[in-house]
Amino acid sequence: MAVIPKVLIVDDDRDFRASVKALLESRGYRVLEAESGHDGLQKVVEDPPDVILLDIMMESSFEGYGITHSLRFRDEYAAYRGIPIIMISSLEKSPDDTFTMSPEVEMIRPDAYLTKPLDIDKFLKLMRDITSSAHV
Amino acid sequence: MAKDDPTPNETIVVIDDDYAMRLSCRKILEKSGFQVETFEDGVQGLEGVARLKPGLVVVDLKMPGMSGLEVIARVHSIDPNIILVVITGYATIDTAVEAMKSGAYDFLPKPFAPDELRLIVNRGLERRRLVLEGHRFEVERALLKRRFVTFVSHQLQTPLVAVHQYLDVLKRLGDHPDVTVKREEWINRCLHRIEAMQVMVKEWLELSAVESEALTRSRDEVNLRAVIDDIFSAYQPQAETEQVALESDLPEGTCAVAGDRHCVAVLFDNLVANAIKYNRAGGKVTVAAEVRNGEVTVSVADTGIGIPEKYIPFLFDEFFRVKDEAARKTSGSGLGLAICRRIVAEMGGSIVVESKVNAGSVFRVSLPAWRQKESNAA
Repeated sequence: MAVIPKVLIVDDDRDFRASVKALLESRGYRVLEAESGHDGLQKVVEDPPDVILLDIMMESSFEGYGITHSLRFRDEYAAYRGIPIIMISSLEKSPDDTFTMSPEVEMIRPDAYLTKPLDIDKFLKLMRDITSSAHV
Repeated sequence: MAKDDPTPNETIVVIDDDYAMRLSCRKILEKSGFQVETFEDGVQGLEGVARLKPGLVVVDLKMPGMSGLEVIARVHSIDPNIILVVITGYATIDTAVEAMKSGAYDFLPKPFAPDELRLIVNRGLERRRLVLEGHRFEVERALLKRRFVTFVSHQLQTPLVAVHQYLDVLKRLGDHPDVTVKREEWINRCLHRIEAMQVMVKEWLELSAVESEALTRSRDEVNLRAVIDDIFSAYQPQAETEQVALESDLPEGTCAVAGDRHCVAVLFDNLVANAIKYNRAGGKVTVAAEVRNGEVTVSVADTGIGIPEKYIPFLFDEFFRVKDEAARKTSGSGLGLAICRRIVAEMGGSIVVESKVNAGSVFRVSLPAWRQKESNAA
């Protein structure tokens, strides 16, 4: 792989960020961290990542949804619209399962949804798939 | 009376400058059987509210012209029993706190799903009904319980996930050069998270015990000097490490309250622990008391970071934690002050706080003084 993929972890739990960061770094990724949704949006603009790992429940119960919506639909983030978002949450259900049948779910649908704690093999495979397709 | 059915013919007013938002709110709510009227700004919205007398108003916080906060205030001057639900573009604790302070019932961050809007509207109307029926107290309790369960599961899950993930990655990367360096740090973090969780579970049990009232029914003579001395000697090592002086200024002679000794100890233990934790090097904690008109007022004062005024209304809520930079550095379950409030309420007293950012906080607890005859009354 010619380019080192850059991953942004947005999560308010420093320990969760620390272990995922070490895991990804051991596999050759570059990892940036943000501790809140607000911080995350700022980091995206400052140093756009190739993939975003996004927690849902941070300062507010649905902060991750708000971030996804901002990145996908707000004009000031138009340049970052294509960055894949992987939602990672301890909530059992993805937005699609939580809000079945509602058209608005389109607005907050991530590229992938994983639950915490991560299934490491599944997570690393997904990261490989997403970063390789993003770089082709 | 089927509680989940929307109130028949209840009118809902939606005030939002965004056409798409008005349309989708109307669609969602009409589907649930409500009468819906929409307005595109605050002025027209208020006219509508005065004319239609709705049970509930959904208002966007950020609109050109009259702001959502102003709309909230004016709607309540028309009818204080109208429930207000605020829609916010980017929900932070600040906007939520601001909206709640000005009298909003709940807020909904954009984007939201139809079910979320319906849920909040139904809950809001249920609350209005019960408030109107004079059952406000029961509603508060029920809502609190529901929120409590959500928070507890998140608060318990988060540390478990962090620890699980550390161990799993350690197992996976066992002999990776970077990880050997981190191994010790990670093990320490795991221990720290587990200890914090144990504290939380302990406090949670304390809270339930206080709630069950079994602990707080007794009215024994509790000598404050002995309680405070015990607490000070327990916290002396920590206070020394953090360079905080502990001082007490209790009146001469006996100074006793009527209650359960364990509860009184838990109460002041929490207050003194906070006063040390949110202090600064070179600062002090002062516990003073005065007896007046059959009441003992105890103040626990610190010279610490203080509490921003906007957080004060939420300070005694379960799991509320101030999210400022200065407070973020400390750990806590968010239950300590909730426990204090319960204990004080069960004892028939009161607790108030005064605070100044960067100067310190004073928590004042008033409790019934102990009198000889009360020993028979329990």
